[in-house]
Order: sequence, then structure tokens, then C-alpha cells
Amino acid sequence: MRTPSFKHLVLVFFTAAIFLAGCQKEEYKIPDPVSDLTNDALKRSLGPNIVSQTIEFAYAMALPKEKGKLVLAEVEASIAGATGTFLQNNSFTTGGAGQDVPVLVGEPSVNKDNRTSVTFNVDTNAATLRYFYVIPEAARGKTVSFTFSATASNGSKVTYKLGPYNISKMDIKRLIAVSNNNNAYISIEDMAVYNATSAVAVAGKIDLVYLFRTTPSAFLHGLVSPAADPIYLPGVTLPAGVNRSSKVRREFGVQDRNLANLQFGIYVDDRDFQEIQLANSPNYAIGLRAEASTWVETADGKYRAYIYVNAVSTASGGSAVISILRYAL
Amino acid sequence: MKLKNIYQPLFALLLLLSASFMGCKKDFPVDEDGLLITARAECFVSNFELLGADFITVRAKPVVIDTTAQTVNVEVLFGTDLKNVYPQFSLASDCKLDPKITGKTDLSDLSNPKVYTVVSGNRLVRKPYTVIIKYQ
Repeated sequence: MRTPSFKHLVLVFFTAAIFLAGCQKEEYKIPDPVSDLTNDALKRSLGPNIVSQTIEFAYAMALPKEKGKLVLAEVEASIAGATGTFLQNNSFTTGGAGQDVPVLVGEPSVNKDNRTSVTFNVDTNAATLRYFYVIPEAARGKTVSFTFSATASNGSKVTYKLGPYNISKMDIKRLIAVSNNNNAYISIEDMAVYNATSAVAVAGKIDLVYLFRTTPSAFLHGLVSPAADPIYLPGVTLPAGVNRSSKVRREFGVQDRNLANLQFGIYVDDRDFQEIQLANSPNYAIGLRAEASTWVETADGKYRAYIYVNAVSTASGGSAVISILRYAL
Repeated sequence: MKLKNIYQPLFALLLLLSASFMGCKKDFPVDEDGLLITARAECFVSNFELLGADFITVRAKPVVIDTTAQTVNVEVLFGTDLKNVYPQFSLASDCKLDPKITGKTDLSDLSNPKVYTVVSGNRLVRKPYTVIIKYQ
């Protein structure tokens, strides 16, 4: 074998040196400090945006101490928020137990048209304010965008845009008490419950009857259409004119977080109502229990609804607490 | 002979060998569904379940499977919507079902019980099973 020449050795050495140089770690550099007013925002609430519910945001703003202090924080919504919309005049720190500790930083917020603002009344150069937007009826089925802005005492101003967010077409009604042989007549259109007497006046709107039976054992709590087979309405004398037949499907795997008092991580959204096929479903649902639910389509095809059973009781003839999400088709 | 000269015949031999090995691969028979046809002749229903549209069982009692009479007897809960149920069969090894169950099934015609045929692993034995449903 030939001994490698000096030239070869040098070549190998240089190649290795280049590879090694490529692996050299870069020194950490301290990033440039923020030199002027900056801001950031995020949406804190999850799930579908339902009219009358709140969307929550956190808006953070800061500038170097020597540049001045915060003067004004403002949010402009593309559609003015409903009554109750406000920008919180507190900033928050985290307490020892991880809890939010409020620190008052400004005057209570002022709503003017679609703008909500807080004027700072303390000398601060950094704050995070929470914005609660109550979704107005005007926004139903539309999209809403938000422009957050902050002004500092040195005259500089920054803005941050969030959205657009889809506003749901759904309506929500929580915790309606229904009881066997009393407040048993449910109207999806009114999202309300009636007794046998008051149901007569709205007979054409009654979609379901709540009833509780211990026999047969599979019956228990039921939501049955007035037009269902009488074997599913044992002992029920329907008020005059109550005769609609809704499509009903019992569901055990879906518990909407909005209706279930923030217990589950599932949200029913517009899309569920748009896509669900109920045409072949029966017109009754029996064997319901707490945390069960039903999908309903009204006889006139105007509404689809999701009814969640919050609680049931067998005491005094049977009763339940239900909550409704309704979608107009 | 120089070492270099034996490379070519060796390479050719290797190619030839690998080609002949490929030709020896066994051809397993499959049916029209792409399922393996085996030597098994066993042909029966070993278990049956009936789920409602909410994926909860609608059985009121354990299912009675008669492999001699070739029937599956199910008693369902009061109020079961038999137009929207999911039947589930457990079969003997390598068997398949005809017709196939593709999703929600309508078993509401109680006077004309539905018949499902179990086909054995060798695809030679076919046994029709009648699903007889009655309400609680």
C-alpha cells in the first residue's frame, strides 16, 4: 500500500476543519429592548360566539419607563357590543396561590358607539386589560372584528387587530324546569315551557311533552312529541290543538359545555345543526337521564334544537332541568 | 485468472438467483373483497350486539344465538327505534357476512326478519342466520 502524501493529508485536514467550523455554536445575543410603545392581544374565551354571551380578550400594552406612561386604551368593534360590554379598568398580577389579583389602573370604561375606552389614572407604563364583548343581536350570523389601540403620554399610538370572528346563529336558554303533568309542554320556537292550561294558547308551537314513568322500566324521563304513538304518552291528555310531531334523537355522547355549566370540553356549534340528519328519526326520546341530550327538529322544519338534560329527579312525580340551544333553519 | 474477471459472472449469477427467489413467492388466494381465503370451514355467529342511534345497547336481555336453527334472538328495550340501529356480528375465524353491514340499519319490519348469511373462511360454506327481534 502507498503511504498518503503530504498533499492528501492537508486536504483531509482542511475538509475536517470546515465541517467542524460549521458546527460552531452561535453566541447568545440579548435581544434589542423595546424602544417604544408596543401591544399584543389574545382571545381568552373558547367555543361558538352566541348572541347574548360574552367574548373575552386580554389586551397588553407597554412602553419603556423613560418614554412616558400609558394614557388611553381603546377597543373598536366592527359591530357595537350589547349592554354590558366593557374594558376592565384593572390590570392583574398573579397571587401566591396562582390567582388573579386585580390592580386598579384607570377610570371605569366608557362605551361610545362601537368604541370602548379606559383612561389611565395611575402612572404606569405597562398594563394588560381584559375586554368583555357582549354579542349583540345585530351581529347574529355575521362576523365581528376588533381593533385594540393604546396611546402613551409621548403621543405614540399602537393598534392590534383581532378577528374576524363568526357569530353563531344559535340561541341559548339555560335551566328550564320541567315537571311531569305540570310544566310539561315545551316549545322550541318560544324556548319556553307551558302547563296544560297555558299551552292551549300556544298549541301550534308545542313540540315536545316531558313525562316521567316508572313502567316500563326503560321509560323514565322522556321528551315525546304530542303526535307520537299513544304508547309513549301513557296517561297524558293533551291540551286542545297540541298535535305536532317533532323529530327527536337521543344522544349520550355529546354534552355541550355552554349548557352543562362549563363541565365538559365539547361545544355544539352551528355546523352540527347544519349537518345533522334527523329526517329518519323517531318522534320521541325516552330513557333520558342527567347529562343525556336530544337533537330535535320541529315539525314545520323551522328550527333544529339541542336539548341538554342538566338534572333529573324522581321526587314528586318526576321532574327535570333542561337547557336548549336552538338554530333557525 | 485475474480477480477482476470473475466479478461479471458472479454478478450475473446473483441476479439470476434473486429473480428465481422472487418467482417462488406463494400466491395467497383472496376473494372479491380482497380478503384472504383460508382452509377453515367453520361457519357460525358467535356473538351479536345491537346498538341504538346513540351507540348505547338496545338489548333488554342477553342475545340467544341458536347455531342449529340458525337464528339470533334479540329482545330490545321498550321504545327502541329499530329504524336506526347498528347490528354487530361476531363470527367464527375468517368468516364474513353477506350482506355487509355498512352503518345504520333498518330492522323495524318485525314480520319479515332480516337474514344475514355467514360465509366460511374457505368461502364454501354459507349459513343464513335470521335476526328475530321482539320488544320487551
